[in-house]
Amino acid sequence: MPCLIEFNGVTSRSDNGGIVFENAGLMLSSGEKVLISAQSGSGKGEFLKLVAGLIKPDKGEVLLFGEDTAVLSPERLNHLRKKIGFVFQDAVLISNLKVIENVALPLLYHTDLPREDCMKRALEHLDMAGYKGGAWALPGPLPLYAKKEVAIAKALAMEPEIVICENLSAGLNVDELKHLAALLMNYKSKKPESLLIMTAITEADAAFLSPERVLKIENYRFA
Amino acid sequence: MKIFSYLGSMVINRLRDIYAVWKIIAFSLYSVIFRFHVGRKATWSVILKQIYFAGFEAVPIISWISLALGLIIVTQSLSILPKVGGGGLVGDILVWVVVREVGPIFSAIIVIARSGTAIASELGSMKISREITSLEVSGIDPMHYLIMPRVIGAAISVFVLTFYFEIISIFGGYLLAGFEKSMTFSVYIASVLAALGFREIIASVLKSALFGLLIGAICAGRGLKVQKSITEIPQQTTKAVIGSFKAVFFIDAVVTFIFFMI
Repeated sequence: MPCLIEFNGVTSRSDNGGIVFENAGLMLSSGEKVLISAQSGSGKGEFLKLVAGLIKPDKGEVLLFGEDTAVLSPERLNHLRKKIGFVFQDAVLISNLKVIENVALPLLYHTDLPREDCMKRALEHLDMAGYKGGAWALPGPLPLYAKKEVAIAKALAMEPEIVICENLSAGLNVDELKHLAALLMNYKSKKPESLLIMTAITEADAAFLSPERVLKIENYRFA
Repeated sequence: MKIFSYLGSMVINRLRDIYAVWKIIAFSLYSVIFRFHVGRKATWSVILKQIYFAGFEAVPIISWISLALGLIIVTQSLSILPKVGGGGLVGDILVWVVVREVGPIFSAIIVIARSGTAIASELGSMKISREITSLEVSGIDPMHYLIMPRVIGAAISVFVLTFYFEIISIFGGYLLAGFEKSMTFSVYIASVLAALGFREIIASVLKSALFGLLIGAICAGRGLKVQKSITEIPQQTTKAVIGSFKAVFFIDAVVTFIFFMI
């Protein structure tokens, strides 16, 4: 299986100068289902930023689809990011776009599909995610669970090769978490070569996602 | 020595701010000319929304102000000029005041008050809630998708509103002031057209386009400066308004000097 994300001797500091990773190494391959479990403030956020190329490591290299994120042009980096679907802990939908527009945005921006087709596909993804609210509602007043349904529909709209979920269980009850986990498992079974990465505080938070590999961030490294 | 150090850092910070604003303008122009095909469907819709909000929705307030201002200028001209034997200068006065100065400046002020504040606070809020990060990780360049449409939308809006302002002010002023009692409409228009030279039109076009670009860039830049706290949003919005006013009046003085003094 090809390696999709690779950390080689990565040292990285947070905004306030504290060390987050020191000489950290990691290889995540296509088809894997990985849980990164760590306490708040121990580097999960920085890991996501490093993978997406939002920050560059102070030392070492982060390879995304085999390419060093630190030396890529912004266009190339954006091209690679198209292949990643992010689900943020607090959903993070674009507040001035309607629900359906949020899901359609990656399709409208990255594909040559006509607008009508993008909207149709966005609606299909919302249905698949089990979203029951109004497609033309603004996302602000929605409950967190509904927002996460929309966020998953948006993340999967481009049929990404890597899906990253940040603390999926945060703010959800067990039934809600089960449903959202099922959506991700369903995508994984449809596209088995995709890499699913979840971050959580404890392993119990990701129980419904049944990860095949659990990594912890300890002493600034992956263990 | 402390005073020199303070003044030095103030000058450097000011130069940095100016550089940041021109960088946003240069990026927006480059983006709209050479990279418009990137995410065209999505960015086009943001540009249209920006023009709708900054331009179209400002039409009622611009109409009121331009009508009132046209009335004031025409009435004052009518009451003063004939007494000093300058009745024929009404058209010149209108062109000097409305086309050269008031049209671009008032349109810019309205856009700063309505849309500049909205741009800065909306982007600040999007920054705090990680919406900009969310765009970045989806491979959507926020500068291309969020900033360029706002800068270009603001520029188009100020440009169009300026001409609307000037037309309404000139025509509306005539009608509201009951001007027809002392001068026929055709004589009035001929007087305005005679005073309206190529230089006035170019100056008005240049001012309105520059004002719009500056307002969009300054307000967007201030919005992006918000880092982590929600209290930064009103602070940066205030700075966006003050910065826009300063830039608009400074550029107005420079363009006026170049066009009408040299």
